[in-house]
Amino acid sequence: MSPHRMRPDAISHHITDATLLRYATGRLPAGPALVVSVHLEGCPACRAKVAAFEAVGGALLDEAPPELMAPDALARLLARIDGDAPAEPQPLRKRPARKRPVNKRPLPDFPGDLRVPSALRACEVGPWRWMGPGMRMSRVDIPGAPGSGAILLRIGPGRSLPEHGHGALELTQVLSGSFSDEMGRYQPGDVSETDEDVDHTPVVDGDGECICLVALEGGMLFRGLMGRLIQPFVRF
Amino acid sequence: MIRTRARRVSGSMNAAETFPLRGRPALCLVAPAGKAVTSVAPDETVPSAPALARFILVIAAQQDRQAFTWLYRHYAPRLKSFFLRSGLAPNVAEELAQETMLQVWRKAALFDPQKAGAGTWIFTIARNLRIDFLRREKIPSVPDDDLPDEPDGAPNSEAVLLTAEREARVRGALQSLSTEQAAIVHLSFFGEKPHVEIARELGIPLGTVKSRVRLALARLRALLDGEA
Ligand SMILES: [Zn+2]
Repeated sequence: MSPHRMRPDAISHHITDATLLRYATGRLPAGPALVVSVHLEGCPACRAKVAAFEAVGGALLDEAPPELMAPDALARLLARIDGDAPAEPQPLRKRPARKRPVNKRPLPDFPGDLRVPSALRACEVGPWRWMGPGMRMSRVDIPGAPGSGAILLRIGPGRSLPEHGHGALELTQVLSGSFSDEMGRYQPGDVSETDEDVDHTPVVDGDGECICLVALEGGMLFRGLMGRLIQPFVRF
Repeated sequence: MIRTRARRVSGSMNAAETFPLRGRPALCLVAPAGKAVTSVAPDETVPSAPALARFILVIAAQQDRQAFTWLYRHYAPRLKSFFLRSGLAPNVAEELAQETMLQVWRKAALFDPQKAGAGTWIFTIARNLRIDFLRREKIPSVPDDDLPDEPDGAPNSEAVLLTAEREARVRGALQSLSTEQAAIVHLSFFGEKPHVEIARELGIPLGTVKSRVRLALARLRALLDGEA
């Protein structure tokens, strides 16, 4: 069902309504929006909420007070349409083949049981880099939004996720393995959403390494998330 | 519960079922009466939601310029308004409204009335174009059609019911919100810095905006879920 989760009904940590609304309205920065996209792939509950918020957007669009378009706007658009190559009528269900940006570099080596979420396949994902004992990370570049800062973390069993400052929205989606914090246990498909109001100390569970997709709002990912611990080891 | 829903919704779907979807002439398009086809003035005659959806289906099936013209006359002025309210300059707002309608023409075959109403589908196109514009890149961000739709094998009839219910319920829900909650929802959709603008608009401290937004969304979600 889900590309990277066997039991979608078992998701117990979701994204807040406020953040899903920002996603649905296109007001979430590229990094956090990527994490939301990945979460949605495995979470019917959050997908339904986004669909509801999009329907609100549709209702607001339908109710929007009309603004005058330029007198020749429709004529110009019809002329542009005439310039289109005549498209063959397509059956409703059939979708045209899509072109995805091709990864220039191979995806980092993932454990065999992890299937890369499709939203992540559209990104350029760097190789695993060593950050410290039992800690590796890889950069995720989002097409059209360079430097928007999402990363993959690969943390060994029993280790803390890297310390980070607070003050902005932070989303951590578990892709494989699990970690726990004061809020509970996060397994594949679960997402941890925190902001300045939340103080938590996530630690990878003892039974294996944990791979997460992480994004912070505000483009301060590496300085904020990595903090003092990582900065000496990794140069971006 | 499901059964009563099914009856209610299937009743409202009958009009759509009688509509010739493919390869036959479109007989039941509803034209806004008395409007010159070439007019792009804001149109005070509002086609029904099913009619708007049918326009898109006819565009997909037959590249029907008349249906596109009707659809354009409803949505282009509203899209411009939508982009203007979200803080874009008038020339940009008009250009993005044009681009949205061009995408509607080109992507009409992707429109699935079982998943979303016309307004909702066009809203998502407009939203994505706005994201792309703001990122100043030509590569589409995360187009809706790149996301998996429903889990494979999910019963489609259920999706139809849920979609139809949701679309119908949303409008009622918006009207059931308090003035302040409606303002919060509007500003969340159209504001450039929603929290700051909500604080200013409602005269409440920035620190309490978050809890007010949470309350407004909880109320909206409860209404959408039919719990309130
Ligand atoms: Zn969820």
